[in-house]
This record gives sequence, structure tokens and C-alpha cells, in this order.
Amino acid sequence: MTQKSWHLNRREALAGTGVALALPFLESMTWAAGAEKKLPKRMVVSYFSYGAYMPNSKSGIPERRNQKRAHHDWSWWPCKQAGPLSFNKSSAPFAPLKDSISYLQGLDHKGGWKLGGHSSGDVFATGADMTGAHKTNNISIDQVAAKVHGHKTRYPSLVLGTEGGTGSYGRCKTLSHYGPGRPIPSLNKPQEIFNRLFKPHAGRDVKQVKAGLKRKASVLDVVMEESKSLNLRLGRADRAKMAEYLESIRSVEKRIERTGQWTDKPLPKVNAKKLKLDASDKDPENYIRCMYDLIYLALQTDLTRYVTFMLESEHSGASEMQNYAHYLFGYKGNTHDISHKRPADISGRWDNWRAKQHAYFLKRLRDTKEADGNMLDRTLVLWGSAHPHRAHYTRNYPIQIAGGNMLGFKHGNLHQFIDKKKVPLANLFVSMLHAVDVPVRRFADSTGVLSELLG
Amino acid sequence: MPRLTQQPANHNQEFMKSGPLNTFLPAFLIFVSAVQADGSAAGSLGFKSRILPFIKVHCFECHGPGKSKGNINLSTLNADFAADGDLKRWELILKKLQRGEMPPAGEKQPTAADRKAVVKWIDTALRRHIKSSRNKGAVPTTRRLTNFEYQNTLRDLLGIELDLAKYLPDDPAKPYRFNNTAQYLLMGREQWARYEGNAIRAMASVIVDPGKPQVYKARREWRAGGRTNNEIAVSRNRRGSPQDGLKITGWPKTGEYRIRIKASAQFPNAMTEMPLRLVMGYPLAGDIGNAPFKPVGTIRLVAGAQPRVYEFRGRIENHPVMPELKNRRGGTRTGRLRVQPANMTITPQNLFDDGTLNDGVDPNTRPKAVVEWIEFEAPVSDVWPPAHHTRILFASPLRKTQPAAYVREVLKRFLTRAFRRPVTDKEIARYEKIYTIYAADAKSMEEAMRRTLAVVLTSPNFLYHITAKDDAHRHFEIASRLSYFLWGSMPDQQLFDLAAKQRLRDPEVMKSQVQRMLKDRRASDFIRNFTSQWLSIAKVKSVPINTDLFPRFLHMIKRGERSGAEVPFRPTIRDDMFDETVAFVAALIAGNADVSNLVDSNFAMLNQRLAAHYGVDGVRGHRLRRVALKPNHRLGGLLTQGSILVGNSTGSAPHPIYRAVWLREAILGEEVKDPPADVPALSDSVGKSAEKAVTIKDLLRQHRRKASCNQCHARLDPWGIPFERYNAIGRYQPKVPRKGVRIPAFNKARHKSLTQYKAQVASLYTVKVDAAAELPHGPKVDGMTELKRHLLKNRRHDIAANVMRRLLSYGLGRDLTYRDRYDVDELLKQSKKNGYRMRDMIVLICRSGLFLGTKR
Repeated sequence: MTQKSWHLNRREALAGTGVALALPFLESMTWAAGAEKKLPKRMVVSYFSYGAYMPNSKSGIPERRNQKRAHHDWSWWPCKQAGPLSFNKSSAPFAPLKDSISYLQGLDHKGGWKLGGHSSGDVFATGADMTGAHKTNNISIDQVAAKVHGHKTRYPSLVLGTEGGTGSYGRCKTLSHYGPGRPIPSLNKPQEIFNRLFKPHAGRDVKQVKAGLKRKASVLDVVMEESKSLNLRLGRADRAKMAEYLESIRSVEKRIERTGQWTDKPLPKVNAKKLKLDASDKDPENYIRCMYDLIYLALQTDLTRYVTFMLESEHSGASEMQNYAHYLFGYKGNTHDISHKRPADISGRWDNWRAKQHAYFLKRLRDTKEADGNMLDRTLVLWGSAHPHRAHYTRNYPIQIAGGNMLGFKHGNLHQFIDKKKVPLANLFVSMLHAVDVPVRRFADSTGVLSELLG
Repeated sequence: MPRLTQQPANHNQEFMKSGPLNTFLPAFLIFVSAVQADGSAAGSLGFKSRILPFIKVHCFECHGPGKSKGNINLSTLNADFAADGDLKRWELILKKLQRGEMPPAGEKQPTAADRKAVVKWIDTALRRHIKSSRNKGAVPTTRRLTNFEYQNTLRDLLGIELDLAKYLPDDPAKPYRFNNTAQYLLMGREQWARYEGNAIRAMASVIVDPGKPQVYKARREWRAGGRTNNEIAVSRNRRGSPQDGLKITGWPKTGEYRIRIKASAQFPNAMTEMPLRLVMGYPLAGDIGNAPFKPVGTIRLVAGAQPRVYEFRGRIENHPVMPELKNRRGGTRTGRLRVQPANMTITPQNLFDDGTLNDGVDPNTRPKAVVEWIEFEAPVSDVWPPAHHTRILFASPLRKTQPAAYVREVLKRFLTRAFRRPVTDKEIARYEKIYTIYAADAKSMEEAMRRTLAVVLTSPNFLYHITAKDDAHRHFEIASRLSYFLWGSMPDQQLFDLAAKQRLRDPEVMKSQVQRMLKDRRASDFIRNFTSQWLSIAKVKSVPINTDLFPRFLHMIKRGERSGAEVPFRPTIRDDMFDETVAFVAALIAGNADVSNLVDSNFAMLNQRLAAHYGVDGVRGHRLRRVALKPNHRLGGLLTQGSILVGNSTGSAPHPIYRAVWLREAILGEEVKDPPADVPALSDSVGKSAEKAVTIKDLLRQHRRKASCNQCHARLDPWGIPFERYNAIGRYQPKVPRKGVRIPAFNKARHKSLTQYKAQVASLYTVKVDAAAELPHGPKVDGMTELKRHLLKNRRHDIAANVMRRLLSYGLGRDLTYRDRYDVDELLKQSKKNGYRMRDMIVLICRSGLFLGTKR
């Protein structure tokens, strides 16, 4: 097949990398932005569980006394000292992305300190303290942004995970929360995610969709009436439970209103052919990449700008994730065990595999041109875990931040925030929110911004 | 504030008299620390003079202002019970003192009289407080259905079995707890939207369109000999054998299918039976092992039987469809770019497994299924429209003459069943309104009714268990609580009738109902759901087994690209182990057995594969059945079942901590805390080299040497160490290989025979396993037999209390709190009289005030 125009060229280029986009990008911008002509500013938060391998170090920070010892090839940290990045075996997949990433040592959420065990992943994107009298989480960083700018895209945010659902206290399967007690269930089935994103009306035309929405709104009025009358018959404790239901209905009503505003705008047409939407979770590489592809597509078509992705969740004993290392390289133990045993070879390969997948995603963003730069330049991608290498330790997380070069982030270094320079991870969150035009003063336990990263 | 006199003889009465004072004394909340600082604090006479000194002397050293072991600091204990906050801690102190677990052995012990007096003081105050504050601290019992209940309810409400729970997010799970606990069951917009989608799917299947539908048929035949072949072996089938299955490319969107198969089997070597399973979904041949499919059914083929036709029925909606493969332009053009239409394949599988599949036995010595043909037809129905349709849109002249009245009657019937109680005219009117909205632009009554009834299925009255303040439907609430307890589904007509007659509070009626319900097929849903959560046995299916150490445990692919991987698409011995435990608990309940059987029993539920694994002779076939045990089998009870031993191992080695936690949580009913933040890792050697895996116990010994670790581990590890002679795959193994010795896989060429191989492996097992431990607050036990003996002799009551609490918690759908303490005690007292029998326990629970709602 020969390509004659830019239009076709572009489609082919995309098809080659996994998808075919039917509409040229500028067009997609018009349905997304409406009045707003500025380029989108995006944010992705992703989490891996059970920490990463960091030999010769205490709780994530290289030991000073052992300065002489060579930096380990398989350490999650790409290099030994603060300053310009160099890459070891484990982080090698990120080498081509050097100018778009930074590593941050010594950051953590105070709220997670006491959670312990494997539960601190619950608050990775929220920084909430769940150990007090109220055992509830709080709003997550993506939802803070979605509250401000979510109305500008068809979907305010996209919440993904590999296990799906919400999980429960101390064993969350999602990173996102609307607010206290309202976790957002993560989606984990590629086909379903694809349909929700790109075929929300399941083949109906705009007129039908609109009529349907109108009908649904009137039906919901009746359901609401029924629920309220039921509520009156309940005792106090039970009413609190029913409040969740009422809130759901209200929120569905709001959602209908919102969908109504968007139905006239055409959906982007993407071809699912090269996406491995039926990849099973027993096939980790295809599955994880497919999930990353979906995020990429959602961002690229500007269906949403804020995404969270729980790549792995803690307490994954009952899921296939537990066997990833087994499927990938025949490791004779479950994935969780790696974090406790930390044999160099397996830990290194495991971290390297994870790095490969994440780098794949970052590269796709970087290789997609957008105005005067690329998509990654306007997308902040956080990647980290709530444990360093030590078992059940909840401080000094492994944290990598990528992208956003055109949002004011300066990359290419490893930063250390230790001893006197120690600051909360939430400071990074504040800087990230500022970069995507969300003017917050504080987030969780933040004390300021992370000026070191801002060029 | 408890006001105690100085006379021990009547301090309880004094205290009780002073009760009402509690209500207006919040201003005097006295903390012990405050008392210490200022001895003049008012009103704390009894506490200050009797209890505090006791606590100071016996507890403060470890749980005081200076040191707070286990995060328990009693210097801030609040003596004002009405303040509620500290009651959990008071209950804990009470338990520890009653059991004599505190102060720990080796510390100075209080006199028996002192201990008794303090126990009595706490007990009386607690009891009184619970009584006087019945309405405070109530936990919600209104909750949404769990996915399990939702699925079953739809089945019974609609009369067809649709897999709809798979579209819902998983319910939150916590090991050893039940997912029907109200607090955990959240609802949100996304969840609601899933219910809505499911409701629409369900109604699309239940209500059919007028007129006869198009019928789809397919058939394939196989012949013996020549180029084709009609036999299915366990593995390695010839090309063109029925293993490829019947591919169908046309089927209705919804409806019941019928699959017929004509089959028999060949049995060499005096074998007598084999299971043949049909599955439908993606084609299974040649795939790497993750093609989605769903079983259609399994038949048992027996020796000597003539070829026979077997018939299966199911819902077409439940089976995964392999989607159409389109060419580049998205068309379906055939020709050079061949296009695969959407399809499903019906595959027969030979599931024969006598536990020797890895032993290099000649495949020709195993049974082969012979399939002559397979036929598919859908939709089928004995009558049209089908019963599930006419149950809702019943045939009546009203429909034509008075459509409005007909709609009202349809709604009334459906709502009554969906809401599980009588409905009011007002409620019906609401749905009539909804019907009118949909009818405005619906093409038929069927279409409008589908949409309307879908709304019913998203109503809180359907999705929630409701405990209303008013007494309007109390008896229907009982009927529902009972049926969701014992069936995990909605009540049947008989229960509805009894509720209408208000008979369910009659103890005799309740007893006969419980017995009837437990005999029903639906009770097995309850037992499976309850057992798997209570004992946390799902893990057995996901622990990665170290196939270097245990080369014969799982059925492995022998040759080719995927050699070394587990043979896919077959139920494995791990599934049997899970089922074994469920069947065991089911047998105890059905037989109304003593709870002691959980620890040790004279029977096990086994099939041939399990029996071969455990080393029990004389069990033939795949069906789990009751097998009498002998002491040399070293089985009996739950503790030695594969589901528990494998699930709580690392897959390479037994894990004493996992097993200890399991024993304490699931059997003894104690709550074991999660490991605290930042404990140093137990550098288990399994990861690096599987061969060294046998040393976890030694590692633990070193771990315990650290004082900070010993605190928790001294109470934990000893419970797991007596399990050590049962290896990671749940087999009795008194000797293990030396460190670093590798167990070879069975290789037919090298080992000649299995006997020879076994002998070689046995010769590698040279190190005796040490399984001796000194139990906390208990004796020294060596191995499983002594552990069981100790549990039966000294902990039978605790085990019964645990089972009672678990059943009650599951039945009520909430965690039990200190408030339920005395109700549980009462139930246990009654249960003890007839020897802690399991079915009677369920009867007692169903008759209790807690369950019937006469007491909250």
C-alpha cells in the first residue's frame, strides 16, 4: 500500500505501533477542547507493589558508610550518586529516555508510615492518614485535577488496575478515590476498557442516545423517590449505609447530564486490531502492554487527561499477578516472595521487566509528535511503590517522575531528599498539580513545592 | 462512673445500683493516668482501690506508661464503661485473665481469689453496660447483596442461570472474614452502573420477543479407523480426533442451547470409569493455555456400557465467543485474506486422572472416550414462549382487554418476588410510571417491560438486605435472612408462605425449615462460600508449586515448546483439594457432627486422585466420597488437608508462620495481627535456591532470638512447627533431603520404573524433620498427632466458640463485637449440652434473638 498524503501516512504510522487512528490529531483536538484551544496537560500515576531491589542500602537510600562499595548493577536506582543519570542493568530500558526522567530518593507519605505491612499502597496517590479514628482514605491526586479540569474531556479520569475493583481497607486494588470512603473501582479487563472508552454508546446514534438519556433521567427521578422513602424506614446506622446508594444515584444523574453535553461531539475512531484486548492475565507482558496501550490511546485521543494505573497491588495473593515472575522466567515462588528474599538475579530481572514495560509506555508518548514537542512533554508520569527494598518498610519510596518537559519539569538527574533535605512526597504532588494548572496550596502533608525539579 | 464499695462481698450489687449515675457523669471521665497524677479524682473508689492496684502490679511492667508491649498501654484505660471507647480493651483484659494467659508464665501471678474478683468486676460492668445501652453502637445490617448472593438471587428470581457476577467488581475480601459484612460492602456510581448493565442483560434474556425465533443447528460426526479417529485419550490425540471439537458459527443472542453427544469409552486394565467433560468457548487445541471457555457439563462413562446419547442444556450467553477476525479495512471479505467469522467451539475432554499422569505410563493403558457425534441446537424450549418468560408476562385475556390492569398485575407479581416481601400500591404505581415512560417509544410491551423490570433490578429494595425500623415486614426479613444464610439466595415459596403466616419465630418451625433447607441443593452454595472464606482456602489454587522439588504433583507437559508447564484447561488436584475441604465441612454439617471432627475425624472425603496423593488405597473414580481412615494414613480433620497445607506453604517448603496464623485464626478464633511496619525480613532461602527450602524453621529459630521479634513469634511459631512433617504439597514426609540436595524428576529412560524412582528419592530423604514445639500457655507437643490431641483435650470449647462465632457472623452479615459476647455465650451453653454438633449450632443460631431480630 502506498501512502499519498500526510493523513494516510499518519494512520499507517499509528497502525504500526498498535492502533490505527482514523481522525487526524488536530481534528481530535477540536472535539476535545471546544472553546479551549490550549494543548492538554496530562498526568498519569502508576504503582508497582512490594517495592524494588536496592542492595547495599538501608531503607532505600544508599549507605554512606559503604561509599566504597560499587553501586549494584541490579539496583532499582540507576546510579549511585545524586546528579546526572547513568543507567545500570536494572534501569537500562530507560536509558533512551534520559532527558525525560528523574529519580527521586527519600520521598514518602507520612500517612503511610503507620499503615505498615503491605497496606501503605492504599495511600500512594492520596497521602491520607488512615490510621486515625476515621479509617478512611482521602481524595487522590488525579481526582483533585479531575475536579478542576475533568469537564474538558469526555471522561474526567481513567482508573485502571490489574486486579480490578476497589479492594478493601489496607488492601486497595485502586489508586483513585473521590474522597473519604469513596474508592473508585479500577478497571482491569482490556476489552471492557476499550469499549467504555471508544464505544460508550454501543452502536446507537446521537438522537437515540439523547432520547435514552432523557428517559433515564426521568426514570432515575422515580428511583430516587423510592430510595428516599425507603431511607425513612431505616435506623441510623443503616441510613449511613443507604446514603452510599443515594449518593450513587445522584452521581449517575450528574453523569447523565455530562454525557448529554458530550453526545454531540464525535467519538474518536480507533481500530482495536493490533491491541491484544483478549490478552489474559496469565500472559503478563501482552496484558500489561495492552493496558499501557489503552492509556496511551485515551490520552492521545484526549478522551481523558488523568489516569491512574495500579500495575500491581499489594496483597495480591489470590490473583494471577502473584505468579507473574513465575510465568515470565520460571521463578519458583510468588511475586511477593521476591520482595522478602531479594535474590539479586530474580529481583533484578523482575525490576528490569517492569522497567521495560514502563519504558515502552513512555517511549510511545515520546514518539508521538504534538505541536512543537511530543506527548510526553505535556504528560507527567509518576511511577513508584510504597516500599523500598526492606520488608514492610514504609519510608523512602522508589520514585520516578517522567515527562512534562514543557510543563516546567527539568529532567535527567537523580535527586536525594535525605536528612535535612527531607521533604514529603506530597510536595511532588503539589508541583505536579501546579504543572497541570491545578492551583492547590497543599496536598495531604505537603510543606511546599519540589523546586529542585522545576527548571 | 462505677462506684464500688470497699466490701468485696457485695460490690457487684452496689455497682449495679449506681448504674444510672453513668448517664450524667461524662464530665468525670477519669483516666488512670489522671488518677495517678491526682489521687483525689472523684468517683473512682472501686476502680481505684481494687482494679487499678491489680493492673498496676500485674500489668504495668509490660503494658504501662513506660513500655507498651503489643501496642497495649493500660495506663490510659478508661474506667467509665459508658464512654464506650475502651470496651474492646476491657474485653481483651477479661479474656486474657479468664484464660489465664496473662500475666504470662514466669511473671508474678495474682492469687486465684484476686484474679476471680477482678474478672467478676469487669464481667459485671461489661454485661451491665451492654444491657443498658442496647441502641448505642449499633452496626449497620442493611447492606447490598454480595456478588455471590446477587448471582443466586437472579437465578432463582428469573429462573435462568446467567453468569452476571463476572461483570461486577470483586467483593472486598479479607482472609478469615466474610465478604457479606455490611461495612465492607460499598456502593458507588461505577458499581451501580454495573448493576444497571447487568439488569438490562438479564431482562434481554428473560423476556423473549413474540414469534418463533430462528433455530441454529450444527452437528459433527467422527468415525473409527482410516484417516479419522473417534477416540479421545488423556493427552496426545491424533489429528481429526473429537479433541478438535464441534465449531459453531451461528447461535441466537440469547436462549437455551441443547448439546447432545453420543459417547462410550474403552477401558483397559480393568479400569471402570472415566469422566468426559464438554466445554464451550474458544478452541482449546494448540493454544498456550489461556483461551477462555466455560464448562457445559461432565458425564461419567462406565465400563461395559453401550454408546449412549447424553444431553446438556445451558444458556448460550454464558459462553465466551471468539470474535470475528476482520481484514484490514474492517470488512468481512473472503478470498485471499481469509476471514474468520465469530465462533465458539464445543470441545469434549477426557478428564481421566488416577494420580499417575506424570508417571510415564503408556497412554494406551488409560481409558479413552469414544465420541460418535456431537450436536448443537439453540434456542430450545419445551414450550414457546419459555417458562421464564411466561412467569413474568403470563398468559391472560387481560393483556388485550385491560392492558393497564395487566401491567399492574405483572409488576405486582414481579416486585413481590424481587423485593422479597409484599409491595404497596404506591410502590407498584412508581413502576407503572416508569413503564409509561418506556412504553412511550417502545415497539412492544415486551420491550417496555424489559426496561421497566431492569429498573427493578437496580432498586435498593432488590439490591439490599433491608432491616427496617418499623415492623411492617419483619417476618419477611427473617425469611430472607434465613435463605441468604443457608442458600445464599432469596426465599422460596414455602418460606414466603411461612413469613406471611408469621410462623418463623416458632422454634419448631424454624428447626424443620433449617433441616429442610440444609438438604436442598442450594445449601451446597452456602457451604462452599462459607468454608472457602472461613478457612481461607482459595490460596491452594494459586501457590506456585516448585516443580523441581515436586516433579510429580502437577500434571506437566512433557515435550515440545511448552514442556515443563502445567497441562492447561483441566481441573487439577488443587481443585480437588479445595473441593475436599468443602465436602468435608458439608459432611460434618449434614451428619450433625461434633466440632471436634474439624481437628480430627475418622473419615476423609477423597477421590482416586487425592487418595493416590495422600497414600490411601482402594479409592476408584473421580467422585469425592467418604473414606474411612486408619492411623497410618495420618489424615483426619482439617489440619492435614491439602487445601490448608498447600495453601499455607511457599510451594517449596512448609511455612510454619502461615500455618500457625491459619490455625489460630481459622480454628482457634484468635486474631493474629499483621506484621508491623519495618520488621526485618525473614530471609527465607526458598527464593534463591529451592533446594535449601527446608530450613524455614531454623531461620525462624534465629528470628526468634532477636528479642523484638520474639515477642510475637513466641506466641505464633509453636503453632506452626508441629505441621512441619507435612510438606509443601500436603503430604506426610517425616524426612527431608539434606541442604542442597536436588530431587530429580521422574524420567522413564533413566529410572526404568516408578518403583525404582521412588526408592531413589526415598534414599535422598535423610534428615529427620523436627516438629517439636512448646505451645504458648500449653504443653510441649511433637508433631501433628500430639498437636491434635492437645487441641481436642484443651481447646475444644474455644474451637466450638470459634465455629459458632463464624457461623453467626456469616448469618448476620456483620462482624461480631464485644456486645455479642453474652449472646454467643448463651448459644454456646446450649450447644454444649448436646455436644457441640454442627447442624444443631445452625439451628440454635437461626432461633436466636440476634437472628430473629427480637434483640439487636
